[in-house]
Amino acid sequence: MIVLFWLCAFVLLLSGLVVIASRQPVHSVVALIVNFSGLAVLFLTLSAEFLAMMQIIIYAGAILVLFLFVIALLTVGNQPVESGRGRLAFQALPAVVAGAGALAILWYGVRVAWSAGARRLPPDFGSVSVFGNELLTTHVFAFEVTAFVLLVAIVGVVMMAARKEVRF
Amino acid sequence: MPQVPLAGYLALASALFVIGAVGFLIRRNPLTMLMSIELMWNAGNLAFAAFARSFGDMSGQIFVFIVITVAAAEAAVALAIVVMVFRHRADVDVDEISVMRG
Amino acid sequence: MDHHIAPPIPFILFFPLIGAVTIALLGPYADRRASGFVGTAAVFMSFVVTVWLAIVVWHLPIDQQATFTHSRFLGYWVDLPPYLVISFRMLVDPLSIVWMLIITGVGFLIHLYSVGYMAPDKNYRTFFAYMNLFVVAMLLVVMADNFLWLLVGWAGVGLASYLLIGFYYDRRSAVLAARKALIMNVIGDVGIMIAIFLMYAHFGSVAYQDVFSSLSRASVSSLNWIGVFLLVGAVAKSAQLPLQTWLPDAMEGPTPVSALIHAATMVTAGVYLVARAHPIYDHAPIAAGITAAIGGLTALFAATIGTVQYDIKRVLAYSTMSQIGYMMLAVGIGAYAAGAFHFVTHAFFKALLFMAAGIVIHNLSGEQDIRKMGGLAKRMPFAYWTFLAGTLAIAGIFPFAGFFSKDAVLDQALKLHHPWLQAAGTIAAFLTAFYMFRLLLLTFFTGAYRGAREPHHESPWTMTWPVAILAVLSLIGGWLVLPGHDLISGALAASFVDTRFGQFLGEFNWPLSIGTLVIAIAGITLAFALYELKSGAREWLRLRLAPVRALLMNAYYFDDVYHYALEMPSYALAGFFARYFERQAIGAIPRALAGLASFFAGISVGWETGYLRRYGLSIVVGVALLLAFYFFLTSAALGGR
Repeated sequence: MIVLFWLCAFVLLLSGLVVIASRQPVHSVVALIVNFSGLAVLFLTLSAEFLAMMQIIIYAGAILVLFLFVIALLTVGNQPVESGRGRLAFQALPAVVAGAGALAILWYGVRVAWSAGARRLPPDFGSVSVFGNELLTTHVFAFEVTAFVLLVAIVGVVMMAARKEVRF
Repeated sequence: MPQVPLAGYLALASALFVIGAVGFLIRRNPLTMLMSIELMWNAGNLAFAAFARSFGDMSGQIFVFIVITVAAAEAAVALAIVVMVFRHRADVDVDEISVMRG
Repeated sequence: MDHHIAPPIPFILFFPLIGAVTIALLGPYADRRASGFVGTAAVFMSFVVTVWLAIVVWHLPIDQQATFTHSRFLGYWVDLPPYLVISFRMLVDPLSIVWMLIITGVGFLIHLYSVGYMAPDKNYRTFFAYMNLFVVAMLLVVMADNFLWLLVGWAGVGLASYLLIGFYYDRRSAVLAARKALIMNVIGDVGIMIAIFLMYAHFGSVAYQDVFSSLSRASVSSLNWIGVFLLVGAVAKSAQLPLQTWLPDAMEGPTPVSALIHAATMVTAGVYLVARAHPIYDHAPIAAGITAAIGGLTALFAATIGTVQYDIKRVLAYSTMSQIGYMMLAVGIGAYAAGAFHFVTHAFFKALLFMAAGIVIHNLSGEQDIRKMGGLAKRMPFAYWTFLAGTLAIAGIFPFAGFFSKDAVLDQALKLHHPWLQAAGTIAAFLTAFYMFRLLLLTFFTGAYRGAREPHHESPWTMTWPVAILAVLSLIGGWLVLPGHDLISGALAASFVDTRFGQFLGEFNWPLSIGTLVIAIAGITLAFALYELKSGAREWLRLRLAPVRALLMNAYYFDDVYHYALEMPSYALAGFFARYFERQAIGAIPRALAGLASFFAGISVGWETGYLRRYGLSIVVGVALLLAFYFFLTSAALGGR
């Protein structure tokens, strides 16, 4: 289990770096798919089977495909998308420094939780039936609200698509 | 099998989160920035699932489900906006869109 | 009090108050004549109730008359025992009733007159609202039972005076006159306020009852100071020296205003004040002496100026100043009944004179310069005869009213051993007779009306009846005091039981009276000689006495002195403050604050770059800082790790 964890961790981190570092957006998308797959494996180790499946189906399967379509729409030809240093000075270094600082603090805080062990879990923890049960009884309100959020998103996107041209 | 302690998952999640955050800040392509945001979300999901397993409470996993749903909605809307803004521009660069200055 | 039907005393105040408010609020929506009707009716109803009250009070025995006071209790205004308790009580002793009768009675007649006189004016409704306001305030002055309410009414009449003097607000001279009147009145208000402070400090109260009963608590010098400060107020309101310059200018107001406010009532408020506060003045000889001296001096001073004025209303204004000098003289020496008597007769004939002059001015479409008038006796007989009645009264000719009241004052002056004052008063009487007849002759006889304006229509009944009534009163009003029989002091006895000097006026000093009459007739003769007979005496006098004449025409240069000594420095100071101090010193504070706000805004604007990634950076940096904060806080709480 620990080996699996370390393997997945390595894959996740590496693909994450590729996502943010590659010049071509398509490369980023592919790296992100790899990332999500690794994440799904980690979910499985956490007794979250339903979540693992959801991750693959929705995230990797739908959202990233949407990304691919938009990239196809926006990026014509094969030219590099970002050229030059960009307009903002003093952006990269402070960003990295702040990120590193945040990471350090978070890792420091995580050390506190080192000794927290796992409880004895019921055997069907994370299964589809238990998940569904929880979702539709204890958290039914959140479920309904989520549906509403999706509706809002759909309406918003349709309205924006139906708009006349907007020039910036 | 010996379990991986909670702290491990949390450390990994924070690392992923910071990678996503830095990526958002240093890239200028809006799509790459959106993908960095997805990374950050997934880091959060990982943390939630780890906590759920650690406390034996299904609420963590439920919340991951909701995050995925909302992320999907958000991605759709954000991509629609990106398409609208950058459809007729030659350069797909977020820094060019600084109309709300001052 | 029990077996009489008690009159509703507060209504005396309420009728004109409601009248003013009604006219102000509803006047614009009604026919303009309604405002005149409401205003006049309100004062008339007050008059009716006052007469009723007078009958009730004067049927009571003397000691009950004095305690008829404090009859109506309507609640507390200031309720802070033991520091200060002031209630809405009204005082209705004989002194205040005399004033109330004149205010409401003569006031009613003047309101009636205004219905006709002010008819062509576009601000007709406003006029009546202001006039009713004035009546309320003046009644408040005389019906108050403590000095604080008196001050409220005092300021109220000052306000009404300001509004009415500046009634023709598109005339610059009128506005300046109103301002001058107000400023001088406020000086008087301050005087009274200081007197109130002193009273409170010494007696712990400002109610008449409390103050007058505990006079022994204060030293004579404190009483003198209180008297002097009250006198400042009285001098300002009654246009006596040295605060007299506002009264001639106040003639810019409409003629009914001059009649009511600046002749019959408001300017006599100072006299009322001294009479009301007579316990103080009885025990403060210096203050009383100053009062009498100012009165006598002003009487003489104003009479001299009146001899050279050529505007009808200005002559009458100076004559008012002079006659009030008589009243102040009287109350200053302790002859309160004589002062009140002269007040009553003066109200009759001065209002008459102003209103008759108003008829003349009205018919000549606004002409007020007597040098341009003449020969009007045939054209306007009614105005002539009534004006003549008033002139005879003011000159002190038997049997008109002025004869009795002026002689009462002068007689009391002699009786109380003030020969100088009596002499001053006699000289003033001579001059008064002279200049009033000069006025009469120049207006109605000598020359011919050379003005370009044609005299027009007849005066309406609303203007002629009040004038006629007052003419009759100017004749018979003096008959309240006849040899051996004095209605005035009998009426006022209850108010003055505690004075040192007897107030009986019925013992005529025949030599004095005949002597004064002869002097008055001499004045009239001089006027005839100079103005009617066509000798060259006038030109000769004018040449020889040119500097004197200049002095008089400029009112002894009081206006100029005040202008240079007080006005110009004030303007300079105000200008300095406005231009430099205000702009630089005080203006710098908001400028500095604005600069500070701009500075910070400038910094903050730097954040709003419009760049998305910048915003993200600031978010991440903020999150990192927050995390650091919380983690180190909790680790400190946990004892560190």
